[in-house]
Amino acid sequence: MNNSPFRGLGGNMLSRVAASLYWLSRYVERSDGMLRMLKINYASSQDTIQEFTWEPMVRIFADSREDETEELKNDSRAVLKYMITGKNNSNSVLNIITFARENARSVQEHITKDLWQCLNEYYHTVKDLKLDRALQREDPISVLDVLIKQVMLYYGTVEITMERGEGRSFMNIGKYLERAIQSVDILDTKFGSISDNPDLLTDTTYWKHLLLSLGGYELYLKTYREGFEAENVLEQVVLNNDFPRSVIYSVNHIQRYFERLKSNSNMEDFREMSFQIGRLQSRIKYSSVRSIRTDGLHTFLTQIRSELYGIGNALNEHYFANS
Amino acid sequence: MQESAYFDQYSPINNVWDEMYGADNHVREHYRKVIDYISNESADDLNKKEELAKRLFMSQGITFTVYNSGEGIEKIFPFDIIPRIITASEWAFVEKGIKQRLTALNHFLKDIYHNQFIVKDGIVPIDIIYSCPHFLREMYQLQVPYDIYIHISGIDLIRDSDGTFYVLEDNLRTPSGVSYMLENREITKRLFPDLLPQCGVRSVTEYPTILYKNLLALSPRQIANPNIVLLSPGIYNSAYFEHTTLARLMGVELVEGRDLVVKDHKVYMKTTTGLQQVDVIYRRVDDEYLDPLVFNPSSMLGVAGIMGAYRKGNVAIVNAIGNGVADDKAVYVYVPEMIRYYLNEEPILKNVPTHQLGNREEREHVFKNMNNMVIKRTNGSGGYGMLMGHAASDEEISDYKKEILKDPRNFIAQPTISLSAAPCYMQGVLQPRRIDLRPYALCGPDGIEIVPGGLTRVALKEGSLVVNSSQGGGSKDTWVLA
Repeated sequence: MNNSPFRGLGGNMLSRVAASLYWLSRYVERSDGMLRMLKINYASSQDTIQEFTWEPMVRIFADSREDETEELKNDSRAVLKYMITGKNNSNSVLNIITFARENARSVQEHITKDLWQCLNEYYHTVKDLKLDRALQREDPISVLDVLIKQVMLYYGTVEITMERGEGRSFMNIGKYLERAIQSVDILDTKFGSISDNPDLLTDTTYWKHLLLSLGGYELYLKTYREGFEAENVLEQVVLNNDFPRSVIYSVNHIQRYFERLKSNSNMEDFREMSFQIGRLQSRIKYSSVRSIRTDGLHTFLTQIRSELYGIGNALNEHYFANS
Repeated sequence: MQESAYFDQYSPINNVWDEMYGADNHVREHYRKVIDYISNESADDLNKKEELAKRLFMSQGITFTVYNSGEGIEKIFPFDIIPRIITASEWAFVEKGIKQRLTALNHFLKDIYHNQFIVKDGIVPIDIIYSCPHFLREMYQLQVPYDIYIHISGIDLIRDSDGTFYVLEDNLRTPSGVSYMLENREITKRLFPDLLPQCGVRSVTEYPTILYKNLLALSPRQIANPNIVLLSPGIYNSAYFEHTTLARLMGVELVEGRDLVVKDHKVYMKTTTGLQQVDVIYRRVDDEYLDPLVFNPSSMLGVAGIMGAYRKGNVAIVNAIGNGVADDKAVYVYVPEMIRYYLNEEPILKNVPTHQLGNREEREHVFKNMNNMVIKRTNGSGGYGMLMGHAASDEEISDYKKEILKDPRNFIAQPTISLSAAPCYMQGVLQPRRIDLRPYALCGPDGIEIVPGGLTRVALKEGSLVVNSSQGGGSKDTWVLA
């Protein structure tokens, strides 16, 4: 049913459609980051003699009030519920996948039927009451694995079925922008905790978990032979071109997919944004662990974050709002 | 004679035309292959098919959302797995009848928005026209491409106890449900492998191709790739799934009011590179909400100025604006006369006998026989606001009478019509349930084409005569045999 004989509109994409594709993609990427973080954090909460705190996790991914965070931070099951199926948490997996699906729904004829069905299934999986129950009573890792698999299916489906056009470029820009912001936030929070608790600096499990949650543990072991060092972790997560969750990798990809919009863009808008992205790319590319340390890590990350937000705002202004 | 367990347990309703159960207590010939097929399946197997159908609808997102305490609940439109079958000769009759009726109705719209000969000749009374809320003065003397008003229609047909087809209502504005015609067929292909070709069922997949061809022909600009869009009210509309399906199948852009803007009497869509002119709009937004400058000023779904662009002929709008005057239930009464007047032919499809309550004598007759009447609002749809006399309490009837007396013009009454019944698979057995038929006719410069099939709606509640989805109705795949 889904092979239309008439494709080939030749025209350009509606601003609303571009915005929906971009947000759909950001939401799914965010859910992926959250689920992986939750999984590793839960595993490490089972492997500690001290009281495990979820505070950084809640801070990065939820917009909860101070008292809510306080209440949640030592209760793994409660955090999982809040972060995954929590209805009152606007950033819970349930809520952001609902947003993602609504975005997909409004652009159904711009994504493939396979992709729509895949997102639809992801949504029904998170919404299933059995999942909520399993999260409270059974092994949470199995539940998280089920959801992570849904995200992997999504990425596979995008890769295999989506046409290589403007729409996919907007999706990829959304995805890498979200990913870059996540990596920056995670680093900022994790390194921020060290100033309160300097012991963490030499705590190998602390760094190991950070890398695991970003999926960079194995790469780290292959790259650095001398064990876990804060500076090496920083280098990998900010500057390693081969690490798919590093800041530089994400920004390179934002640049790459933005360049593909060139032929479908108003030249003035394009040049302005291209300059903005290029400047950010250079700032990271010509940094080193030493220069970052001289500037101060927090200052550096804050700058990068604000540039990333700036790109999001510029897209909104030049490509999405259009009025 | 032993036919099959499913058939033997089936008890048809008295005095009702049964699509499957023949007068001689045998399966009608055109249903035989299907009955044979399911007879080889256990109730378990059929239950599994029912499950599969539900799962397919759900996973493909063929759902509508019911909002309850701030939370959306996804529901599927109930689907009965046993197809409704129409023979080649029945279809040929229906097809001919619908083409005739639509030709006359289209003439009527052209006439009523131009010279009004039919009024001047005393065939249709003027007060019926001017009191109709869907008669739009804004359309007066407006030239539409090829004089086509009714590009897409979904005329509802029912069958009386002797099997005669009647037109229940003409849906000439934005009829919905065609995606279910297409999706139900896709589901049936999965449920009953090989059965469709064995039975010689005609395909319905041409629908989007024909519609696209017709839309393309309407473009005011003579260019290679005119911009055709489908205008939807957005994701919260209950037919949103249908809008996306049609846009996808035709490869046209799905837009919302906020994506469009009018400049210098031309309609543009906002794209990532700026404004792009739109040539043809297949709109699924009602007239009333289409242009806040002309119609409902509080509409957020429309496009300010679109009516001006339409009037200038810079954009084609499908269906034409103002069609509601032709499917008004008070005007419905005059359709057989229209056919005689414009075409000099006898109507092929019959109207259900209808009383206009604006007429005092008829009203008095109806008030005396309320128990045998179905009373409807002339501009209502979806089965809302109607009274089924045989099932209503005395209190409901007297309340309804008061409603009628407030504005009798807005009501019509019809004798309780016996809808035909078709077998439905319910809890392991076949049971008769009442059905109607909505074929979809497409009209373009080359004439009227009707895809062989349509939407069969079914009243799933036992004894119910209301097939509307909002009132517990479901649907069936509709087969037209070659």
